[in-house]
Parts: sequence; C-alpha cells; structure tokens
Amino acid sequence: MVESSLLSSRRRAVVGETRHLLFSVAPGAVWIFVFLVLPSVYLMAVAFMTNGPYGLPQMPLSLDAFEQLAGFGFLGWSPGNLYTLLRSLWQTLVSTALVVVVAYPIAYYITTCREKWRPIMLLAVVVPSWTNQVIRTFGWMNLLAPGTPLSDLADSLGLIGPHMGLYPSNFAVTLGLVYNFLPFMVLPLYAAFEKLDVAQVQAAQDLYASPVRAFWHAVFPQTLPGLLAGTVLVAIPAFGMYVIPELLGGGKSMMLGNLVANQFAGGSNWPLGAAGAILMLLATFGGLYAMRRIGKRLGGGEEVVI
Amino acid sequence: MRKKTLARSLTGFWWLTLAFLYLPLAVVVLFSFNSANSAAHFAHFSLRWYHQLLGNEQIISAFWNSLVLAIVSSVIALVIGCLIGYGMYRHRHRKLGWLIVLIYLPIVLPDIVFGISEMAFFVQINRATGLLEPGLVTMIIAHVTFQIPFVALIVYSRFVGLDPTLFEAAKDLYASPFQRALHFLLPTLKPALISAFFLSFTLSIDDFVISFFTAGPESATLPIYIWGAIKKGVTPEINAIAALMIGAVALAAVISLLFNRQGRR
Repeated sequence: MVESSLLSSRRRAVVGETRHLLFSVAPGAVWIFVFLVLPSVYLMAVAFMTNGPYGLPQMPLSLDAFEQLAGFGFLGWSPGNLYTLLRSLWQTLVSTALVVVVAYPIAYYITTCREKWRPIMLLAVVVPSWTNQVIRTFGWMNLLAPGTPLSDLADSLGLIGPHMGLYPSNFAVTLGLVYNFLPFMVLPLYAAFEKLDVAQVQAAQDLYASPVRAFWHAVFPQTLPGLLAGTVLVAIPAFGMYVIPELLGGGKSMMLGNLVANQFAGGSNWPLGAAGAILMLLATFGGLYAMRRIGKRLGGGEEVVI
Repeated sequence: MRKKTLARSLTGFWWLTLAFLYLPLAVVVLFSFNSANSAAHFAHFSLRWYHQLLGNEQIISAFWNSLVLAIVSSVIALVIGCLIGYGMYRHRHRKLGWLIVLIYLPIVLPDIVFGISEMAFFVQINRATGLLEPGLVTMIIAHVTFQIPFVALIVYSRFVGLDPTLFEAAKDLYASPFQRALHFLLPTLKPALISAFFLSFTLSIDDFVISFFTAGPESATLPIYIWGAIKKGVTPEINAIAALMIGAVALAAVISLLFNRQGRR
C-alpha cells in the first residue's frame, strides 16, 4: 500500500517534470522547427526539382540544378559559376589570413596596456561592427570611389587605370571583408592572450630561444584555441557573404552568396539557387566539423566553443 | 632598445588600425554635412540633406518599420527564449542534445540561406493558403527565429551562474510555482533579461539580409531603404540617414561604457 503510493507519487513527479520540460521548451522548439527547420528542408528539396516557367520549382525531381551550378546550360558548359565558387574560396582564404595578421598584434597590444584601458580599447574595436553592414560598406564605397584621395593615390602609383575607382573590384571586396570581420578575430585572440602563461615565454627566452622561436613554441600554441574560434567566426560567414560583394564588387567579383541570392531575386531560378545554398551549408557544417577536429587534436578542443 | 621599438611600432599599428576601423564611418558623417552633391569633394558645411530627410516620407516610414520590427520581435523572443533557457537549465541532466542542435541552428546557418529558405517557405504558404503575405509579420517571424537562441543562451548562462541551493530555498519560501516565478525567478533574471532584450533589439536593427528577403513592398526598414537608394544611385541624403544611425550606435557605445563603469564600482 505504502509502496504503491510512493511509486505513484514518484511517477507523478516524473510526469510533472516532463510536462514542465514540454511547457518551457516547446514554444521555442516548435517555433524554430516550423520557421527554420521546415523551410530549410523545403529549400533542400527545391534543389532537386525542375525550374518552372515563373522561376518556381516544379516536379519532376532532377539533378538539373546541380548540373547548372557546375556550369552546364543549354548553351554548353561555361566556367562562370565555377569561377564564382573558386573566387568565394579565394576571398575567404585571403581575407581570413589578412584578418589574422592584423588581429594578432592588436589583440596582443591590448593585453600589454593598463587594465583599466582594456575594456575601452576592446569597445573601440567592436563599436564599428554595431553599425549596419550596409552603412559600413557604403562608407567604403565613398572612400574608394573614383576621384577620392585613395583612388587618386592608387592611380598615381599606377595600380589602377586613370579615372577608375578602387571599387568595384576584387580588391575592394577583400578590403570590405577584412573590415567587416576584424573584431570577430580580435575578441577570441584577446581572450587567449589574456590567459597566456608568461612563464613559458620567459622560460623560452631564458633558454636563448630567438624571438621567432619563442613565439612559435611558447606563444602560438597557447593562443591556438582563440585563433580557431576566430577562424570559425570569420571564415564561415565570409564564404556566404552577400552584401559586401554586391556593393563593393561588380559582376566580375561575385561570390557564392550573390549567385544564390540572384536566383531568388532577379534571375528566378529557385532550384539553382537552392543547389548553391546546399553547397554553402556543406561548406558551413564541413568547416565547423573540421575546426572541431583540429581543435581536439591540438588539445585545445575544450575551449573552442562552437 | 629593441623592446622599445617593438612597443612603439605596436602602438603605431594600433592607431593605424583604429583609423582603418573608423575612417569609413567618419567619411559618411562628414559628407552628410556637405553642401555639394558629391562623394569626392567637400564644398562647405550645410544641413540641407538633413532638412530633405525630414520631408522624405519613405525614410520616416522605414524608420518606424525598423523600430516596430525590432521592439515586437524582441518582446516575443524574450518570452519564448526565456522559457527555453529556463527549461534547458532545469532539465540540464537529461539528454537534450536535439534541443542544443535546434538552438544553435539559427546561429550557424549562413544569413543568406536563412533568408531565402524563409522567403521560399513563406511564398509557398502564401500561395497555398493566402496567409503570411510578405510584410512586417513575416519579418517579425524571421527575426524572432534568430533572436530566440541568444535570449535562451543568456538566460541559461545566468541560471548556471547561480547557486543551485537558491532554488531549494525558494521552494521552501514560496508555496506556488507562480509566486516563485514572481518573487525569485524574475528578480534574479532581471539583468539577464535586460541585456537579452537589448541584444535582440540590436540584432534586429543590425540585420539586413534576412529582412531583405522576408520583406514585402510596404515594409522596407531603414537598411533596406538605404540599400535600394545605393542601388539606384547614391544621393547624399543616404549620408544623412546613415550618419544618424552611426550617431545612435555611438550613443549606445557611450551608454554601455557608463554601465560598465558603474558595474565595476
């Protein structure tokens, strides 16, 4: 008798807990499922459909979109899409590398400054990224347009033709990407530098390590988790960037994001756009997975928060 | 000696990077006061673009759209995200891997994929049922979707930082779950809720890509209006509205700095 009432009360508690879980978690989980998971699944399905007359997807299922993405159209094969893809990869690599090169000294410099200045310095690095992306990019359009001091300087150095601006160009897109993502690299690197064990660096110096060797063996491994986290925050969004290539690059500087978006805005070929989106998703999750693996192998895995 | 040169060049590099970061914004603000209609030559100081701004009904309505979108979506996301955050904490000993994946999905999904999949979905729903016509409602739905995870994670981390015995104490003190929520949960959560609301608000104001793809013809926000104006051909009026938005960010930065100071005192 006593046992059964105890059992039932425990069961009631379990039921109550489950109900609590449902009531608290369900609204958000259902929201994200209905308004993000379902749409993404639909988008993936669209990639395997055929393009209809009004740009809307139709049956039957086919791999047409992927063939188009690879460059096969009814006029034969053209390398345009392939170039776009390679350009996206190249821009991602170059801008991430440049961001690392700039962010390393900046993050280190902030840690050498007095403690009361550090939050203000970090804020100074981050604040520009609080402004809208369109406005920031518009600022660069103003700076790089033909007839501006920077363009005139490049002109007199013979870098660009006379009366041409520095934008639209691939260079402008790279610059825009570096500008956009710099804070995302500085913050994790700063966090890594702040935790840096200085004793290791001193030990290396005591053992007559050259500054380069000291950096490479004592500093670099300690900042690696920050570097990996920063790379995730920079490279993955850079690969799918839409606004910056659209405004700062011309038709010759298009990236994958523009290719995808154009199919939904003007070009009206949803399946092709969806196929491009699948590629982007593969790159995103592949990149995340690779970073996690690298992070774990190098022993900093626990700290790489993704 | 060598150490000194290193320190000096680092300082120089720091100021150079700051110049790099602020130059584009400074140019926008400067040319918003340009009396000439040129992005290359500054004639002299004038407020004519700001005057023109006030008479531009499209900009005014875009401003209200931005504001309504940000406030409504943040409030909805605050309620839903707060519930999830609490659920995640209370049931953290269970296997909630699927929930974590679901919550991280809006964060890791590239903006453009997020935007077009919502757009494609809304268009098809609209064709089938007539509901969810592109406009403020679809934009609010999309914004809430990317705000929920941030609210949930902020609330969750606030709970994790608390002493677990506090929950027991609250249980002993207040009989009903409702009283517990009112007298214990909400007051302890207040700072987390405030920062979650401001983060959601900023994310919404800052967003362009997702808004762009879920917007309707009548629901352009400020960034969408600016985007359209740039595409049609740059006018200095954009400088003026952009300068005002930069000013708002600068104000937010100063406020956060003051809060920071107060928090440490």
